[in-house]
Amino acid sequence: MSDGFTEIGRALPRKEDRRLVTGRGRYLDDLASPGALHVSFVRSPHAHARILEIDSAEAAEMPGVVGVFTGRDLDHMTTRLRLAPPIEGLQPTELTTLPINKVRFHGDPVACVVATDRYLAEDAAECVTVEYEQLRAVTSIAEAFAPDAALVDDSLSSNLVSHQTLSVGDPAARRAEAHRVVEARFALHRHTHVPLETRGCLADWDDGRAHLNMHIGNQVPHPLRSQLASRLGLSESQVTVMSPDVGGAFGQKIALYREELTVAALSRHLCRPVRWREDRMENLMSAAHAREYECRTRTSVSETGRILGLELEIDEDFGGYCFYPANYMARVIALIMTGPYRIQDYAYEVRVALTNKCGAGPMRAPMAITSWVMEGTIDAIARDLELDPVEVRRVNALGPEDLPYKMPTGEILEDVTPRETLEMAVAAIDVAAFRERQTQARSEGRYLGLGLCTVIESTTYGSEFYKSAGIPGSGHESAWVRIEPSGVVNASVGLMGTGQGYESPLSQAVAEGLGVRSEDVTVHMGNTDIAPYGMGSRGGRGATAGGGTLYLCALKARERVLAIAASMLDLNDAGGLRMRAGQIERMIGDDWQKVGLALTDVARRAYLDPLVLPEGIPPGLDFSQSYDPPAMTYSNSTHACEVEVDLQTGAISIDRYLVAEDSGTILNPIVVSGQQQGAIAMGLSGALLEQVVYDSSGQNLSATLADYLVASPNELPEFEILHHHTPNRRTPAGIKGMAEGGVMGAIGVIANAVSDALAPRGVTIKRLPLTPQSIRALLREAAPSSMKRTQS
Amino acid sequence: MKPAPFTYHRPASLAEALTLLLRHGPAAKPLAGGQSLGPMLNMRLARPAHLVDLNDLIELDSLRVTEDTLEVGALTRHHRLANAPEVQRSLPLLGAAAASIGHYTIRQRGTIGGSLAHADPAAQLPLIAVTLGATLVISGPDGSREIAAADFLQSIMTVDLRDGELITAVRFPLPVGDLWAYEAFSRRHGDFALVSVALSFSRDAEGKIVALRLGLGGVDTVPLRLPEIEARGQGRLADENTIRDLAIATATAIAPEDSEQVPAVYRRELAETLVVRAFKAAVNREEGA
Repeated sequence: MSDGFTEIGRALPRKEDRRLVTGRGRYLDDLASPGALHVSFVRSPHAHARILEIDSAEAAEMPGVVGVFTGRDLDHMTTRLRLAPPIEGLQPTELTTLPINKVRFHGDPVACVVATDRYLAEDAAECVTVEYEQLRAVTSIAEAFAPDAALVDDSLSSNLVSHQTLSVGDPAARRAEAHRVVEARFALHRHTHVPLETRGCLADWDDGRAHLNMHIGNQVPHPLRSQLASRLGLSESQVTVMSPDVGGAFGQKIALYREELTVAALSRHLCRPVRWREDRMENLMSAAHAREYECRTRTSVSETGRILGLELEIDEDFGGYCFYPANYMARVIALIMTGPYRIQDYAYEVRVALTNKCGAGPMRAPMAITSWVMEGTIDAIARDLELDPVEVRRVNALGPEDLPYKMPTGEILEDVTPRETLEMAVAAIDVAAFRERQTQARSEGRYLGLGLCTVIESTTYGSEFYKSAGIPGSGHESAWVRIEPSGVVNASVGLMGTGQGYESPLSQAVAEGLGVRSEDVTVHMGNTDIAPYGMGSRGGRGATAGGGTLYLCALKARERVLAIAASMLDLNDAGGLRMRAGQIERMIGDDWQKVGLALTDVARRAYLDPLVLPEGIPPGLDFSQSYDPPAMTYSNSTHACEVEVDLQTGAISIDRYLVAEDSGTILNPIVVSGQQQGAIAMGLSGALLEQVVYDSSGQNLSATLADYLVASPNELPEFEILHHHTPNRRTPAGIKGMAEGGVMGAIGVIANAVSDALAPRGVTIKRLPLTPQSIRALLREAAPSSMKRTQS
Repeated sequence: MKPAPFTYHRPASLAEALTLLLRHGPAAKPLAGGQSLGPMLNMRLARPAHLVDLNDLIELDSLRVTEDTLEVGALTRHHRLANAPEVQRSLPLLGAAAASIGHYTIRQRGTIGGSLAHADPAAQLPLIAVTLGATLVISGPDGSREIAAADFLQSIMTVDLRDGELITAVRFPLPVGDLWAYEAFSRRHGDFALVSVALSFSRDAEGKIVALRLGLGGVDTVPLRLPEIEARGQGRLADENTIRDLAIATATAIAPEDSEQVPAVYRRELAETLVVRAFKAAVNREEGA
């Protein structure tokens, strides 16, 4: 931990827990709104179909129904979403608020029923009849790219919505020189976010003031406000976005979704508050999906396993609609693929397909597949050359002597420690002892495996990143810090927490910068009339972008406080002064000593006695600051995991899981630990259980939580966490981001561990999830036909 | 996820419940623990016009052991079955199966009558009832009748229950073999099993298998008892060879549904594995291993 901090790094309990664990949180459904109308969406039962006619006459006459609105109606109330950033290879797209001519996935909303309560709205929604002409559904990447494929978006020339390539150095020449060229394949399946609290909003149009109050659990209130205002033809001063407590988001609550815009437009149209609570089936089917990729690597290696060149192909299934530019997620995978390894000759090709499935979006670690692809490639090299996988990692890993390291894509790695975390993890798991156990177990017919996965986690995402990614908005954050007349501190930043536990760590960043106790700082988030503009919470940027900005703003406040204190102490300047826990201290000799002056005294003077302030110092104590962090900061970690595979059932049990992680300066170890555990749990849950399933006609078969399986604590092991802290030299207080790397590492490490366990049976994991039935299928395929299955 | 409109009834007696069920015929649905019916109502997969809540009929929450029967009232919760000493003593297989249902909160609400009437092919209690040859007591407009569990369960969520009828009790014949096991394979703790096995037998003085009962869940539209496998095992030593032979024979005897998600061959493999594990668990428990 960095020296000298008194507030940063404290294990301060999460401030929000008082209300959250005593059942006094206020979520969307806790907000009363007398007379609010409720909506229910009529959704498409087909994956791909023309809308011929919508008959809502019967529904409109039903009790309590205020109206039934279709895509045509909404097209008069809202503008369309056009995404056309100047990015080579990206086709521009345009969306209406609700579909008018065609539905593009099972669950696509085609009409919105507004009624006096949700029950009546659902009764009426059943009575809206939609006549469809079914079209051939595109349900896989291969189908999307087939020459005769049906077009998912009729306005595009093909389903290849985004296509980028890059070649750095000379990978083809490296291939020609290589001792061996190793090929490997990785297919990650479709996931969805499953926040405990589904999407929802309460739109309250005040016709007198011509103002919309939009209550919505959202990660990015300011960009959402800009979107909402623009799509409704309002100014930003006519829209206030307010996020109450939010029960999870994981990337699902960034975009302005069509349902939410519909609700806002209808509140304005009807001059009534209108609310929508997405139900679980809608959430699983129609909110946003993620992670469906097929990747291939071709690696040129020397005899010792040294990587000479890497060629990567990424295909992504983006679903039916672009709520984000289609290059957004896959681009980061390609950008950081080489990660912890010394590779300079590198090429990639990224192709993104539109299909008749729910639209894709970022999900906690949008680049999650990266570490599995890179580390699975390393293991493939080790297998192919019969080398120790630990040695292949050592031969290629970046060490301190390589830093700062410019990756072939131009990304700069600095203050990262992949070799150190690798060695920590290898030592802690005791690889040699494991190999002995593994050999012994195999002789008893038991199959143990060890996986390793080193992660370079891209975090923070400054303006430079978003600009090059084509995402509207910038990557900077703003903050204000206000010391009130009594000396307590209020502060605000543009982030919005959705369960991370921001309130303590962010108040610690303020307290550290200012010199007060974190307990005396309150951080306000989620109301666009109160919070300053910021890009919000996404991409592991809360700590650096949010905490960093607050810290800088607090430093500015401290400077003023000390200047006033100096004048109150009749000193010429504040040179020998500091503040700790709200008390002014002065360096006397070699010691800091209290001088009997507190922040409360300074605040009183600033607010209530401004006439005696020194010349040039304005009354009051409020400060603002903006900060644009680096395009990226990088954290790193190495995951290690031991598994046992039950050959009879295909079940996988995790015997041990550990991670050595370097996430720089830690604002609050309780919150960081929660993020580490949560991220690993999410990664393992995804790799082992979760899967969005569409059949070949595009029907979603995983629309309940009995079908879309999420891990519970029963399915997860204890996680051992080893800490390593290397501050980032370019950020305030050395902060880096974290909270997504655990997902990346967990997916890679479990896949690698299972491949290791099943190596004697000739099985390598190329496709997730690791369901017991898929493991059995691999074992059946691998078994020589003469070999009969035997029972243990 | 809001149910279609219905009228809610809460009868105070069995007679009143039966009257309501008869009056509303197919439009009525009894509500016991609600652990399956609740979600089905919310998803509008079940849309009864009348919901008859049985939860005041506490006389149906009962356990009675006689020399030759364990009688379980239809409203008995899984939690009680899993923990009642009289079940532990007389029919530990039933208690173990009940203990494995869902999660703690589900077991507090779910009832044996509800589970049988719902007839999920992978559920625990229908499997135990079929394997042990339980009889259901059903009350209706013409008094009460009895029917074997195996006859009552007709297909997936399809049972022999006519308008105005209600399961009031389940009778398990006693005694059963003193060796037993319930083995299930599910994706997560508390999920419905992909395949489950219920096993009960005794060993005679020479160690040979007698009174063998073997049932499988999740391999057909209803839980299956396998009399031909029972006959095959009868009189043999419960050794490796016998166990493997019975397991392979079981896997051959069943014809599970084939789906992309869970192929038939996988369910067969699980059946084979679980039969082996059930025998081993039963023998190990007796031998204290």
